[in-house]
Amino acid sequence: MSDVQVMPQTSGHAPAAGRAAPVKLEVRNLDFFYGANKALKNINLRLETNSVTAFIGPSGCGKSTLLRVLNRMYDLYPGQKAEGEVLLDGENILNPGVDLNLLRARVGMVFQKPTPFPMTIYDNIAFGIKLYENLSKSELDGRVEHALRGSALWNEVKDKLNASGLSLSGGQQQRLCIARTVAIQPEVILFDEPCSALDPISTAKVEELIDELKAKYTIAIVTHNMQQAARVSEHTAFMYLGELVEFDETQRIFTAPSMRQTQDYITGRFG
Amino acid sequence: MAAQASLQEVKPYDRARALSAFKIGDVTFYWVTRLSAIAVLLILGGIILSLVVGAWPAIKAFGLEFLVTRRWAPNLEPTPVLGALGPIYGTLVTSFLAMLIAVPVGLGIAVFLTEFCPPVLRRPVGIAIELLAGIPSIIYGMWGFFVLAPFMTDHFQPFFINLFEGVPVLGTIFAGPPSYLSLFNASVVLAIMILPFITAISRDVFSTVPPMLKESAYGLGCTTWEVVRNVVVPFTRAGVLGGVMLALGRALGETMAVTFIIGNSFQINGSIFSPGTTISAAIASEFGEASGLHMSALILLGLLLFVLTFIVLACARLMLARLDAAAGK
Amino acid sequence: MNAPSTSFHTPSARAIYGSRARTDKIVRVLCVLAAAFGLLWLSLILFTLFWNGLAGLHFSVFTEMTPPPGSTTGGLANAIFGSILMTIIGVGIGAPLGLFAGTYLAEYGRHEKLSFYVRFINDILLSAPSIVIGLFIYGAVVVPMGGFSALAGSLALAVIVVPVVVRTTEDMLLLVPNQLREAASALGLPRSYVIRSIAYKAARTGLITGILLATARVAGETAPLLFTALSNQFWNANLLTTMANLPVTINNFVQSPYEYWRQLAWTGALLITLAVLALNIFARLLAAERKKS
Repeated sequence: MSDVQVMPQTSGHAPAAGRAAPVKLEVRNLDFFYGANKALKNINLRLETNSVTAFIGPSGCGKSTLLRVLNRMYDLYPGQKAEGEVLLDGENILNPGVDLNLLRARVGMVFQKPTPFPMTIYDNIAFGIKLYENLSKSELDGRVEHALRGSALWNEVKDKLNASGLSLSGGQQQRLCIARTVAIQPEVILFDEPCSALDPISTAKVEELIDELKAKYTIAIVTHNMQQAARVSEHTAFMYLGELVEFDETQRIFTAPSMRQTQDYITGRFG
Repeated sequence: MAAQASLQEVKPYDRARALSAFKIGDVTFYWVTRLSAIAVLLILGGIILSLVVGAWPAIKAFGLEFLVTRRWAPNLEPTPVLGALGPIYGTLVTSFLAMLIAVPVGLGIAVFLTEFCPPVLRRPVGIAIELLAGIPSIIYGMWGFFVLAPFMTDHFQPFFINLFEGVPVLGTIFAGPPSYLSLFNASVVLAIMILPFITAISRDVFSTVPPMLKESAYGLGCTTWEVVRNVVVPFTRAGVLGGVMLALGRALGETMAVTFIIGNSFQINGSIFSPGTTISAAIASEFGEASGLHMSALILLGLLLFVLTFIVLACARLMLARLDAAAGK
Repeated sequence: MNAPSTSFHTPSARAIYGSRARTDKIVRVLCVLAAAFGLLWLSLILFTLFWNGLAGLHFSVFTEMTPPPGSTTGGLANAIFGSILMTIIGVGIGAPLGLFAGTYLAEYGRHEKLSFYVRFINDILLSAPSIVIGLFIYGAVVVPMGGFSALAGSLALAVIVVPVVVRTTEDMLLLVPNQLREAASALGLPRSYVIRSIAYKAARTGLITGILLATARVAGETAPLLFTALSNQFWNANLLTTMANLPVTINNFVQSPYEYWRQLAWTGALLITLAVLALNIFARLLAAERKKS
């Protein structure tokens, strides 16, 4: 773990700190509570449009929690609450008046374990599209194919679109879930350890896909795997015990972190 | 791969409008489910209300005397005398005897199934027991009437009557003559009916013991029985007790298994071989011809039965809930 | 470990172990005896039921009406019809109500105070004496409507169906992984759509199993029909009057002095048992199917 190689693709972005890139999502003074337990402490960061931001840190540091604030997934559970501001295109999504369904349609999420719905491959994709749009059969077919091609799954499933989504392998299921998310055309996609249940080959495919998706979407990814963070992201946030310790360009984090804790973590001294 | 992944633009659409169409359905569905949940509470309220209203004339006429009066004379002029002591006695005696037989046997079968049974037999026997737990009680009652009662009366009862003749207390409990319609015969049918029930529940409860726990006891060199006594039973005590209480609740309220062979007699004489009645059997046999105060008294009996089973079942549920909590569910 | 007295080769250690092994053997025998004893009775019941029931199982049982006293012909056609009809209506009313209430407990109100009470009361209703439910419907439906009716009988059965379906629905929905709900919510689905198009679909076989078990439970219920639907000697499809049904017919025929009636009671009992067993087995197969996938 000591010598992390930084992939050249991350150098695509100019490292100059002063230049302002367009901001898609901004988190300001965010606190988060599980009941009385404070899980996130005063988080501040910005996600740039069409870039990938990785969240790393030891288990329980709050990185997944932060991700679940960004589409208010935590709202499904009583007793969890967020304070502060999360601005999506300048609008605070923590406002009580925000339409959660609309928000989640704009901020999609891909989960740790593949979660295909108990229906056919075709329906897994079509289901989300049909929610928002009235399409003819042929238009719908086109969109499903488009989404499956977009997630590099089309060639593998085009002959069995009516098979159950559960019949696919783990890696295929995960790409199906990505296709499903992409199909409803979100603006931001959150990945919560999307490769932790996958084998190395499937992982490589998903990473390749993430790299392609950033052309169109703003992406946040939580990962345990530091090489992965280095490979796919432009920016990296290191979190520890509910605090954002360091947030910078990925290259900088992995080569010259400014905080001692970050240094210790990425060199494998703890975590 | 990068080539075809470049996403073509699709026509824009109005998401918000599509979503607002869902809103009404969303709210409606929520309220339909919530009102249905409330309806469950209303059913209980309805049961209590309807029983209290129906029983009110009897409550007014007899008051607490009802509970301690032995006489049941619905046709007495000018006013009938009605007391619940006979049916209460019969209900308690039959349930007690049934539990006395069914609990040890039922637990024994459960232990057999979970610990001693050859794996080949485990599933079929387990399934057979569960299927038997689902057979309607009238089948048990009918079988008791046609098959068990004659057998018990001709062979089993005389043996005990002779055995204990002249012995104090036991002589009264097992006093003759043998009777076709008797508390004892009803108890045996009841026992056979709740047997699969007890077995099925305790088997489920026993299977909640973590295998690791049992294996560590075996690892110390414990015999199977020692594992059962020192690990399985202590771990599942609350659950087994809860299951037994559930069975008791069922035995107290059971109607069809006992009605045919209990005799519908409101007399109380210490012998278990004499005819008697239970609350539910009394209601089932007399309700059809009853009217006025007589009917009201039968509904009051029903209310008593409901209160009695409610208490037993509530205790059972609390115990089972405690087991769930211990198992971390 | 080094002291030889702790070894199993000393006489005293062997004696202790011997007595432990003996106890174990005795308990083993007792448990086998209990199993044999229990299974003996239960197989005896099934044996007599089939023996006596099959003896009277003719085609006419399904085509002829219940006979008047003393007759030596006749069948159970009207009672079979009545039982099926009342069971279907009872389940038709009770199952949706139970399904929705169970949905509330598992999906919306998992941690709410209301759910706690509903769950507790539902568990009580689950094992409440069925004769009390008969009395309830007598007071709440029969008296206000001015007479016994098949509708009252169906409602009594519905009251029994509800708690069974509530319980299984809640249990089955709780088995649906939360991740699936989150994944559906993450697409922007409103809650009710998550439940209906994802959770119900994932739990479908379990939900059907619950309804089948509830159907099996009420198919043989006698006590609540005794003073709600009563019985009827003739063919009747009018829900507002008394209707023949198998359990009450059996109840009436068992205690009669007429040989033919008793025979019909056995046959009716066999039919009910077969129906209940079939429903149970079917539910079980479905549940097994679910576990496999």
